[in-house]
Amino acid sequence: MKLEMNVNGTDRAVEIDAHDSLLDVLRDVLHLTGTKEACGEGECGACTVIVDGVPVNSCIRAAMTADGATVTTVEGLADGDELSGLQRAFLDNAGIQCGFCTPGLLMTLTALHDNEPHPDRELVKKAIVGNLCRCTGYSQVIEAAVSAGTGGGEV
Amino acid sequence: MTDVIGTSAVRIDARAKATGDAIYGVDHNEVGQLHGALLRSPVPSGTITRLDTAAALAIEGVEGVFTAADAPDTRAGWIVKDQTLFARGSVRYEGEPIAIVVAETRKLAKQAVKAIDLEITPGPVVATIEDAMAEDAPLVHPDVASYEMAAPFELHGGGNVVATTILDTGGVDEAFAAADRVVEGVYTTPRHYQAYMEPKNTVVSYEDGRFIIHSAHQFPFNLRDRVAQFMGVRPSDIRVIGHHIGGAFGGKLDAGLEPQAALAAKLTRRPVNIRNDRLEDMLTCPMRENAVIRMRSALSASGEVLAREVECTIDAGAHAGETPGLTNVPMHMSASVYKVGAARVVGRAVYTNTAPTGAFRGVSGPYLIFALERHIDEIADELGVDRRQYRLDHLYEDGAVAPNEQVYDNAGILRDAFDAVEQTAPWASTGKGPLRGVGVAAAIWPTNPMAGGVTLRLNEDGRLTVVTAANDNGSGAVTMGVAQIAAAQLGIDVSDVVVTMPDTDAAAFDAGSQGSRTTHIVGRAVADAGEGLRAQIAQVAAGLLEASPDDIEIDNGSVYVRGVPAKTMGLADVGGAATFSVGPLQESASYASTPPQFNPGCVAGPLMFPALTTVTYHLHLAEVEVDPGTGHVTVTRYVVAQDVGTAINPAGVRGQVQGGVVQGLGYSLFEGISLDGGRIRQRTFEQCRMPLAVDVPDVELIALENPHADGPFGAKGVAEAPIAPVAGAVANAVADAIGAPINHLPITPESVLQAIQTART
Repeated sequence: MKLEMNVNGTDRAVEIDAHDSLLDVLRDVLHLTGTKEACGEGECGACTVIVDGVPVNSCIRAAMTADGATVTTVEGLADGDELSGLQRAFLDNAGIQCGFCTPGLLMTLTALHDNEPHPDRELVKKAIVGNLCRCTGYSQVIEAAVSAGTGGGEV
Repeated sequence: MTDVIGTSAVRIDARAKATGDAIYGVDHNEVGQLHGALLRSPVPSGTITRLDTAAALAIEGVEGVFTAADAPDTRAGWIVKDQTLFARGSVRYEGEPIAIVVAETRKLAKQAVKAIDLEITPGPVVATIEDAMAEDAPLVHPDVASYEMAAPFELHGGGNVVATTILDTGGVDEAFAAADRVVEGVYTTPRHYQAYMEPKNTVVSYEDGRFIIHSAHQFPFNLRDRVAQFMGVRPSDIRVIGHHIGGAFGGKLDAGLEPQAALAAKLTRRPVNIRNDRLEDMLTCPMRENAVIRMRSALSASGEVLAREVECTIDAGAHAGETPGLTNVPMHMSASVYKVGAARVVGRAVYTNTAPTGAFRGVSGPYLIFALERHIDEIADELGVDRRQYRLDHLYEDGAVAPNEQVYDNAGILRDAFDAVEQTAPWASTGKGPLRGVGVAAAIWPTNPMAGGVTLRLNEDGRLTVVTAANDNGSGAVTMGVAQIAAAQLGIDVSDVVVTMPDTDAAAFDAGSQGSRTTHIVGRAVADAGEGLRAQIAQVAAGLLEASPDDIEIDNGSVYVRGVPAKTMGLADVGGAATFSVGPLQESASYASTPPQFNPGCVAGPLMFPALTTVTYHLHLAEVEVDPGTGHVTVTRYVVAQDVGTAINPAGVRGQVQGGVVQGLGYSLFEGISLDGGRIRQRTFEQCRMPLAVDVPDVELIALENPHADGPFGAKGVAEAPIAPVAGAVANAVADAIGAPINHLPITPESVLQAIQTART
């Protein structure tokens, strides 16, 4: 079947199977490998992308339900070589270690920032309860998210 | 530009990881690749009575199905060669590979696995440590005596015992006979899943008689050797190429899926791409082993430990892996930090019909420190003295002599750590109030001493390439530590350092990202090679600038003639001139730590780590609050004083401490992996219950800088240790809060309620 969606600002039309996940289509068909699969069952958030403004686990989202949708992946955050404020904050606050959960965290937090530009620590913590990170212990991720909301100032 | 040392420079792979550009192992593909899937044993023990692959092979798009019948008749292993490529005749654990299917798509390969006709007659299951040690226990490896050794060790095994390490100082029985009183305890701990985010994966090609392995691996040279053993070829017939690693924590130090993929690649002459799904990864990842620790101390009337006796038995699972070496750890971690007289410590690993266990950050340390620190609290309680004061009264000092007669010259740092934590979180005012408690745990921790070599190359554009098989498992040891050391040595910006991904064809041996060795060992090799490269640069620049090499200074990406500001040129000019005249400027160096002295007369066993190298000192304090209704434990405060050598990158150090402590909190409170009849019960991330952002405190880190003379700019290991004392500190805090012992992990709400109940009755 045919799937039409706007991915990172570009209209795409691809052939898919009815049982393909959105993650499969993004990674294997569109070669957007920035989005990661870590559990494959919606428990870790590594595959988070934004669909029509809402962060979703793309590994358990049927691709066909994204027909006509606007999808943003981690590859869509930077403007050319110019990182988004949140990406920059992850770099400056040492919010990245192995980095495998980073795309998912960035998408969840981008969606948060779109709704709440200046989240405090508690709001950030609650926003990322669906994102597992095994490396950082979360502190520097939280600081990055708060710092991005305050324009890079003290958190 | 040595001022880059001690700054929180952005790690050099951060941008690629934040944009999705970084190619991890699981993102790598090869042209013409097939996709593999494994048929794994559904039972922990049994005899294969039927294995018919015809139906799977008949499926269109399936290019091969291979079993033990297709594999070389070899055995492989890190220390003991007790593994075969596929189960041969019998299965020894749930998840053991029996066959590989390769097909045009992953989906097809997975489906074809289901078409294989497999029949297993279940056999007796050696499910637990107790089962393994029983007098009439069935043997997991009846032919173990005929297995070859892969490393030159004396195992001291027998029956289901893989290996035993014994330390005996002498005088233990006499001390117990003369004791004023004896304190004893039994401490039990579960398995612990590394739960790295990127499941194991590989792509293997076979070209001109050689295996080309793409893998996000922590120890490429170990992988090379293991695949060579399995395939019956020379190690140099294998080439391992590394990629970004999505976490590892010790779980990716030995071969994973590579040997099976290698066989299929050879037999089909097509590259084979295979990855675990999360369930396969959980069932077969070499988790931290479950353990039973018995500890008794003979006390004098004044509370000194006249002698300690320890018996630590660990579950190796169905293959030995690295566990024989881990039997060395109890003698270091159960009778040190606090003074003991005589000591007898037995470390023992046993085979069971369970998934093989292995290294997870801190290896045996977390459970041994848990046992020791619980034991110390119990001694203090028995004596009726303050728990912190007891520790201070019996703490190691400079020049302390451990039971193996290793001397810890700087052990006085432990007292500095106690003092520093007291400044931040005064004992008298911490953990007070109903159902609130406080606990501490200390550690002496090694930096892995194993060798590594590097080559530094000055490019024609003035940038520096570090050619190394060292890899960054996420810790920042390469992308902060090694990069900053290289930048400092050559006087260039960190962004002008390029570090290669591992390639065993191109880079010198490196012992992998384990035991916090990379910044110390590889950093030192970089520093040494940097000295030589500077000398070469000075030589070439002296000719170009008509000066003496002794007068050449190198900094800010340029060379200068001392005292003549006008005479200067960029490193790019030097690199370019050299490349096209005398030849490219490059320098290699290797480094390994000097083994510390100890008394070999008092220890026997497979001595991988008979003494601890380049040690650091640690104190952790945990404050907790227990909900009396649910038994839920909240960690309200967590303080770490850690000897970090020199913090090359303070933000990186902090990230390692926070991350390590949080993994330790998972081990302490949430993540108990349990076994039922040899089968792992937890089968999803959710059941594993790792800590979330809302579960954990911000760790208050006090970094104690004690530069090491042999370390690059004084650096020692940092990243492994922060997980090690956590369970000890938390268990002591919970026991303090509820007034009842906590001698089993994890400390679940149920176990807390039960402990409260037991204490009341």
